[in-house]
Amino acid sequence: MALRAPKLAALALLLLLPLIAGAAPKKLVLLFTGDNGGEVAPCG
Amino acid sequence: MPVLALDAGNALFKTLADGQDSSAKPRAELVLEQLEAQGYTAMAVGQRDLVLGVDFLKKKTKGAKLKLLSANLVDAKGQPLFPASVVTMVGGLKVGIMGVSPASGDGAAVLPQGIRGLPVGPAVSAEVKRLRQKEQVSLVVLLAAVPYVEAVKLAQGAEGVDFVVQSHDGRGVGMAQRQGVSTLVPPGERGRQVAKLELSVEGTGPFADLSEANRARDSQRMVEANITRVQERLKTEKNEDTRRSLQETLTSFEARRDALARTAEAQGPATGRTYLLTYLQLGADVASDAAVQKQVERVEPPGSAGH
Repeated sequence: MALRAPKLAALALLLLLPLIAGAAPKKLVLLFTGDNGGEVAPCG
Repeated sequence: MPVLALDAGNALFKTLADGQDSSAKPRAELVLEQLEAQGYTAMAVGQRDLVLGVDFLKKKTKGAKLKLLSANLVDAKGQPLFPASVVTMVGGLKVGIMGVSPASGDGAAVLPQGIRGLPVGPAVSAEVKRLRQKEQVSLVVLLAAVPYVEAVKLAQGAEGVDFVVQSHDGRGVGMAQRQGVSTLVPPGERGRQVAKLELSVEGTGPFADLSEANRARDSQRMVEANITRVQERLKTEKNEDTRRSLQETLTSFEARRDALARTAEAQGPATGRTYLLTYLQLGADVASDAAVQKQVERVEPPGSAGH
């Protein structure tokens, strides 16, 4: 019985590690345009 | 890195009188076609997108991936003219994108006959609540094709919206500004810039701006370079007056360096939910896509008034 706790803990760690790794920050880029006003050949 | 391209609206026509200009329609058609071709996910419907009416927009975007959004535009019978939002997965994150248009009776905006703009605030609140509770999105972006004053009010009070991207007044570039509950982002104007918002999302809560810490670190590096130069001169300088002056300069630079280091440190490490806003300038130094350039020159030949 004494061995069960460490084994469970090890299993939990094994199973949870990918979840912890998956909790890394998610990175993304949002690109925005606006007020284009029909412009197709901007200059200046 | 996963990318989501969005347009805050007022993309298609220069003025409300453009309906009389024969060259305006092909330009608007080309802009819509290119938004689709370049993989834009959504665009808010602004007053300057409605110059040729709702039918023109619907016909040109039929079957397109690009979604035209407005949470508050309705027809004469009160029926919504466009979807209020779209939900998409980007980089493992569920993102809700909403659009909002000017309200009828807003002195700063004019809508064509037969189109009504419901009050902006309640329309946004209802949709963001649905996105957060029903769709369980992690991020909400509001494309606000409304006058700037109205967009500020939205950013101050629209609980659940992370970013408000405003178009209407052609305000151009600027800094992202935290306004109450969300951050107001200027998207640039007239095809001259693209606003690039780099996000790192971990957990919940408000987004922190990384730019201040980055500016402080950049300045710190420049001051450190100046400190090195002054120290080098001090090694060889024999004149006592000059040495005293250099020593004072060095002390001043060191104080500045320490202050900048404190500013950078106060922003903390780049964890949690952070953003960094920069602009890509679409100047002459940016290469044009040859196929798109041909299409542009078809509707606006080189040397023409608009070119």
